[in-house]
Amino acid sequence: MPDHDGLMRIFWPLDLSRNNSPGIIVGWRNSGLDIFVVAILEVSDARNVENALKVGTLFRNSPHPITRIYELCGQSSIHVLGLANSPQEEVELLQIHATTRPYLRMPQISCERASTIQIIMYERPMPTRMQYISLNPISLALEDKAEIAVHAPESIDAEEEKEEMKNRAQTKHLVEKLKLHTVAKHPPSQKELALPRIVSQVNCSWELHEILHKNASLVGNRLRRSLSVSERVVESATSMRDFVIVTIWQIITLYLYPIVRRGFVIGLLCHRVAAEALLIVLEWRANPQYAALKDISATAQQVEIRLQQFCYWPMQYITLRKRKDDWESVTTSHPDYIRFYNSLWLVANDVIIGIALGSYIIDNSVWVAEFIGEILDLYSVAALRRTITWLMDWPAGLKLNNELAAFLGDLFLWVIDHWSSLVTALQPFLPHLIWFIGFSSFAGASMPIAVFSDLLSILTLHIYSFYVASARIFNWQYTILLSLFQLFRGKKHNVLRKRIDSCDYDLDQLLLGTILFTLLFFLLPTVVVFYLTFACSRMAIISLKAILDTLLACLNHFPLFALMLRIKDSRRLPGGIRFELKDTQHLTSSTASDSPAPPPTSHIYLKSVPLTFRAMFHQYFQLGQRIRKHYLSPRVLLCLATGKFVPPIHRKNLYSLQYSMLPARRARVVDMWNALTASAPTKEKKAGFESRHHNGRRFNGLNGRKH
Amino acid sequence: MLTTHPHLRTRRPSPTTVEYTVSTSPSPTLPLRLLQLTTSILRIIIGLTVLLLLYTKYLLSAFAPATHPIGPPETFSTATIFYILTLITHSRLGTLCTRLASITPYTLLLPTSFLLIHIILQRPHTTESLLVLRGLGIQTSTSSASYLSSATTRFIPTEKVQDFLVNEAFRGFEVRYYLVVVVEGEKEVVVVFPRLLPRRKMVETVWRGVRGCLWEKGEVGKG
Repeated sequence: MPDHDGLMRIFWPLDLSRNNSPGIIVGWRNSGLDIFVVAILEVSDARNVENALKVGTLFRNSPHPITRIYELCGQSSIHVLGLANSPQEEVELLQIHATTRPYLRMPQISCERASTIQIIMYERPMPTRMQYISLNPISLALEDKAEIAVHAPESIDAEEEKEEMKNRAQTKHLVEKLKLHTVAKHPPSQKELALPRIVSQVNCSWELHEILHKNASLVGNRLRRSLSVSERVVESATSMRDFVIVTIWQIITLYLYPIVRRGFVIGLLCHRVAAEALLIVLEWRANPQYAALKDISATAQQVEIRLQQFCYWPMQYITLRKRKDDWESVTTSHPDYIRFYNSLWLVANDVIIGIALGSYIIDNSVWVAEFIGEILDLYSVAALRRTITWLMDWPAGLKLNNELAAFLGDLFLWVIDHWSSLVTALQPFLPHLIWFIGFSSFAGASMPIAVFSDLLSILTLHIYSFYVASARIFNWQYTILLSLFQLFRGKKHNVLRKRIDSCDYDLDQLLLGTILFTLLFFLLPTVVVFYLTFACSRMAIISLKAILDTLLACLNHFPLFALMLRIKDSRRLPGGIRFELKDTQHLTSSTASDSPAPPPTSHIYLKSVPLTFRAMFHQYFQLGQRIRKHYLSPRVLLCLATGKFVPPIHRKNLYSLQYSMLPARRARVVDMWNALTASAPTKEKKAGFESRHHNGRRFNGLNGRKH
Repeated sequence: MLTTHPHLRTRRPSPTTVEYTVSTSPSPTLPLRLLQLTTSILRIIIGLTVLLLLYTKYLLSAFAPATHPIGPPETFSTATIFYILTLITHSRLGTLCTRLASITPYTLLLPTSFLLIHIILQRPHTTESLLVLRGLGIQTSTSSASYLSSATTRFIPTEKVQDFLVNEAFRGFEVRYYLVVVVEGEKEVVVVFPRLLPRRKMVETVWRGVRGCLWEKGEVGKG
């Protein structure tokens, strides 16, 4: 073993007994001087334990095959690592002598080959409570989404995307350059490479310890007598009772359960087919570049998310069921578990809030309709009309061009008149609409919010069109003014070379241009005033919709379950590991008198770091940043200032947060059918396996008693 | 008075494990301990007063419940807490707070009290440490600014550590030397002691120590 420095590393569980009695230390040996203690067996002879480990006596009655644990921990077998509290006995070169005392918090360890020792104390995570440790923070979102979210919006925000790509390439280049700075390369030693394995050994340690302790009595020269007559009578009576219970249970599982199960599966599949049909409608696009229904409407999007969730749940549940067929220490499915129950809980929450909201809306539908009608009338018609009239009549003492202001104002007022007649025609239907919204909220509070968001975009359509029209007019005037200004200076913009050239204009050209420039310049304030009004109202609507969308995101995606887990049992949400160096002073005073002074030892605690709240809300931060980047960037401000159209943020960008809980591609109907029907035989097989196992246990037990 | 210049402390229980701690907290002497005790008592008193002020403001508002029972309840329950609260609000300090709360408007009271609570929750010292474990890795840790959150730690396994070096940077009008861990496959380097950024002498000591401790000798090859 290439251990040049004689450093011995020992992982020692915190909950091991600290009494004086001798024992055998059992655990993994990752490399020569790198050992991982699992248990101390209070058996006298080390050779017996070694034999028992080889034969497998110590792993009897294990619920699942032990080779799976070996595979997880990356070792082929468990070894005897040394002796506890028996300093006189001889051990092999690489084995250790440990001394534990009730008053010592840490064991004292010596080994012949070790010149320095690191004792790393770890607390065993309880796999039955789904606690575990991991090197990397647990990810609450599905991984396969991240890549797609990066590549999808290329077509929409092409400029930003390009900029980002450029930045990324630059940092990649810098990182490559940084590698050149490293002069000395250190090939990783065996101890360093063992870290991931050690993490899974820590995770498996509790279950392994339980099994070893259960079977510790089977090892060695303990006296075993055969059962007495009365004990045999009791045993056969209990086995008779077990037999009756098992028979009744089998009747139920064989005849009743499959029928119920089949019915349930067929119901699920019918639901799945219906969902598929609806999803196809929602995702249909006439042309790959065109927007689908779900990209336009928040309601369609919400329905789509729910349907996708319904499609994903059975698959997720089946994966979670498979967890039961394996050791509890296997930690790969724990994030799935959190995701599954988080989405279930959120939907349940959503429905509960929705029922409360819906019953309120339905009960007061007339009042709510009146209220909404009033607001609609006030803000989208009356206030707008008043503002336009104000603008036509020298607003705030600003002397605008009367004729142009009257023209523009009359134009807008005329459209508003038409729109208001439309709104009044809609007024009688409003209570029905409100009733419909209230009814839809029984499917969750997110539904009325989404419907409301859509309603808002429909009912403010006129403001949107005003904004587009006035922005267009303003933009024309602005560009014309720019080019006429060049003319005024005796220059012109060279399109081919993209620069300003000087140019000799004729007198009539100059005269006409200058007159036009003056005219347009004096007309500019009037147009600007109208443009500003509509741009402001457009921004207000956009921010209102952003608030509604954020509310939707909260209802659909809030990490409620994870937050609850973080408060209840933070070890279920590991965010990495942490080491803590402990003082060793009190140990030196209590050295055992007969043994030689132990090599310099450092005591370290290994602790799990809980996931930070920041990491939990990471996607919200991302969303906020995306919105900020889209609407508060200098580019957008420039667009606003020059009257160019500000494109609304694409729904796909906004909703990547909500989809992060769903797989990129949903499972097909056939897949679901296969998964649902395939899970039945495995279950039966498992039952058969268990009964066989049951017999085996009895057989083993008898065997054990014989020798 | 409560803080000093950052100074270095080293703990090396065995040659393969070192912890370097840079801290602004001075070495504890008796007067210093007394001072710390008095400041913490002062913090608690200020905090409780602010809370009492907010509570009296709440009692003056329209949301407050009508009246509380006057007599002391028999067993310990929520009623007891309310009883104690009424006792406090009717004491001299309580009446003073009520008077103060009735004068100050919400717009002044709320930001001021939040600011005060934020200030008294600030930690006076900053402690940053670097733990080097041969065969495992490097761990940096930084104490948080307030008492509400715990220290943030970052553990980097040795196989991920590409390099450990001293870098220099402009900070204001000075040049600072700082320690950097280059992590393999990451865009950003990890700065050791990011808040204190100790002086060059300390940085060099730590750098030498880490170089000697982290990697086994004799395995270094030119790369």
